[in-house]
Amino acid sequence: MTSKNWIKLEIPSDTRNVAFARTAVALFASQLDWTLDELEDIKVAVSEAVSNSVIHGYALQEGLVIMEVSYHGSELRIVVEDFGKGIADIEAAQEVGYTSIPEERMGLGFTFMHEYMDEVMVASELERGTKITMIKRVRELES
Amino acid sequence: MQYTFELEGQALIVTLRGELDLHTSPEFKEKLTRLFEAHLDITNLIIDVKGLSFVDSSGLGVILGRYRELQERGGRLFFVEANPQIKRILQMSGFQKISEFASSTADVIERI
Repeated sequence: MTSKNWIKLEIPSDTRNVAFARTAVALFASQLDWTLDELEDIKVAVSEAVSNSVIHGYALQEGLVIMEVSYHGSELRIVVEDFGKGIADIEAAQEVGYTSIPEERMGLGFTFMHEYMDEVMVASELERGTKITMIKRVRELES
Repeated sequence: MQYTFELEGQALIVTLRGELDLHTSPEFKEKLTRLFEAHLDITNLIIDVKGLSFVDSSGLGVILGRYRELQERGGRLFFVEANPQIKRILQMSGFQKISEFASSTADVIERI
């Protein structure tokens, strides 16, 4: 059997779809050999990335979120893309506690993504959208 | 997402079941805020998270907001029966510095 596979999901930026997105990605990711904790980590990271698109990208308005999830060998790659308002300062947005809605949010979305995934890359352009790429690798068990 | 609220003296006991995220947290926030406004004597918030299967920063933001109110009232925040995954995300969010973990609600009631 080939050691690579992929899925692509297009979902409206509806808050109800955040749970769907993380569950669908976890289900796909479970084709690799994760621990239950690692699968939970993936769910949190996806939840944060998609929530970021829904709240910040589209400000809870209608929009499209595209997710491409793939693995090659032991490396899982999750791409979450929106075509919303974009992030003005990508570095600042990834700092602990940064939020553009301080009365509502903790500013921990990117912190959780970085903590739970091995690599997180963010590309964004104002008024064009944001693309978050996250990578996680299956750990080799020590024998 | 299901939750129950119970007042015990000056403590509000909240039992969470299900997933607390961007979709489910606004209603929870509204109900919790209304209770805080209606009962100004609430000084301790006890959150039973045994049945909480998922939480992210949206859900934790609601709890942090109520913690700020508790602080003004000189109160304390407790998490009861947090499983390792929930405990980990709470610790990562800094909740271990501002709250206490307990094994049962009865244990907290005894302590306060």
